[in-house]
Amino acid sequence: MNEQHLSPDLLVDYLHGELAPEDDALAHAHLSSCSACRGERDLEASLLEALRESVRSSEQEMPSLIKAAIWEQIRQAKPSPMRVLASWLRPALVVPALAILLVGGWFASPYGHPGTAPTIDAMYYLEAHAAQTAGTPLSEQGTQPALETSMIDSGSTQQLADAETSLASSALDGSR
Amino acid sequence: MVRVKPVAGALVALLCLVSSRPTPAAVAPATPSSAVPSSAVPSSTVPSAAAPAAAPSALASEPADPATLLRSSIGAPKVVSYVGQFETVRFASSRASATIVKVEHRAPELTRRWYVAPEALYGDYVITRGISTYQFDTKGAKLTVTHNPAIDDPVIADGNFYRVLQNYKAIYDGEAIVADRPTVSVVLINKYTGERAVRVWIDRATHLVLKKEEYHANGAVASQTRFEDLRYTTSIPDDIFSIDAPAGFSRVAGQDAAAPSSDIEKVVRDAGFAPYKPKALPQGFDLVSGDVTMVNNVRTLHLLYSDGLRSISLFENATGAAADFGALHPKTVSFEGHDADYVEDGPTTLLTWKEHNIYFALVGDLLINELVDIAKSVVP
Repeated sequence: MNEQHLSPDLLVDYLHGELAPEDDALAHAHLSSCSACRGERDLEASLLEALRESVRSSEQEMPSLIKAAIWEQIRQAKPSPMRVLASWLRPALVVPALAILLVGGWFASPYGHPGTAPTIDAMYYLEAHAAQTAGTPLSEQGTQPALETSMIDSGSTQQLADAETSLASSALDGSR
Repeated sequence: MVRVKPVAGALVALLCLVSSRPTPAAVAPATPSSAVPSSAVPSSTVPSAAAPAAAPSALASEPADPATLLRSSIGAPKVVSYVGQFETVRFASSRASATIVKVEHRAPELTRRWYVAPEALYGDYVITRGISTYQFDTKGAKLTVTHNPAIDDPVIADGNFYRVLQNYKAIYDGEAIVADRPTVSVVLINKYTGERAVRVWIDRATHLVLKKEEYHANGAVASQTRFEDLRYTTSIPDDIFSIDAPAGFSRVAGQDAAAPSSDIEKVVRDAGFAPYKPKALPQGFDLVSGDVTMVNNVRTLHLLYSDGLRSISLFENATGAAADFGALHPKTVSFEGHDADYVEDGPTTLLTWKEHNIYFALVGDLLINELVDIAKSVVP
């Protein structure tokens, strides 16, 4: 990545969400502080949106009669079970299938997880929602439910579960 | 040091509270308590309870306009100082969770909440000073500091109140005694559905909300909060609000809440991908703000929809980052060919799914079937 400005290729990848998370974070941080790159980004984004809009407007639904005729031909062309079995044995299919099995086996093994895909802690969603709704009228005096859940989550979830279970039967009597 | 009841006693009290369930009749009749100490309520700043000692009799014969009373109640914590015990019960579809906290609040913006129950939080406390929150984990000897600009944003507050009046009708609903104090009850009815959304019991003298019930669309109680014990005072020692880390505590910076922006176009540009927006929201909901936050190196777009009282958050990321539910034990629901995970945190439901290479998370104080209906409209 250029230290000074984002390259056009990198900007395009950024807009398509195709950067690795670390590069994505760097690009995002750079954009927040570089007005020149933000301008480039906005220009690319508007071009991209114009292209999408153009494609959307030119999309046409295939006439239903033609669609029905194609499906009918596909159904009629259904091969016999023996023919399906024979097709599986063709080298052109066997080789990729083996490759898939090998790759799958690699990722299923302990060696296959050097860099797992990033995840987002579900508590983040609950906390971020609660934080942004803190200014809602009448919410001021209440406790902070998402915060409490995260505090318990980091401590003893089982204790909360026990307390909730003991409360549940009496609580449900009157509410539902 | 604050004295507290033993945890077992508190939970017994809580069980009684829960089993009696929130009904107006459950509020014990009592005679009005003594007037509020003038030192606890600066008379010049309380909008319509200018003379607290005289206010009860005036209101008894002539209740204030409910909307005006409501507005006044929202600003009350800015001018009223108090100590007390506050209880919250939150109902999920198959279980309930409860907290009991000792509260010390010095207007306008210092609050300490000291947890009595549940047992997992016993002894922990949270101090808020304006937009800053200091979370003291006494068992883990850890102080976590976070900031939330949305807490004290007058523009957001005004916008929310405007939306409340736009989408809800405030109705006077009688008087009752809560925490030994005379209150006026106001119910907020959704103008589009006619459903009762929230009921609050407002202290006649100080306009502080002493009790609140929130309801689901099916009429079930979603949550109840109430003061069990309350005393207005400004004589709260400064030490109570000390944010110094106790000896042996480590101090860490938590994830700050994003600063919300009403410039949605800019937020979408920052997101860097074309987001999807729900096309079927309950009537009255508008897109009010958005933000883009880096979470675990994942650019995450957050769109907030609100009708003033209720809110729905839609999170999106195009980086392939699924939600990690950890110990939250999600359930699965299927809709339109998608297997989605959801979890209930009291009345709040979180629903996550993947579609068109975008990971979505929808959060709101709604039932799961209501959230699924919204999710279906995100990518039609």
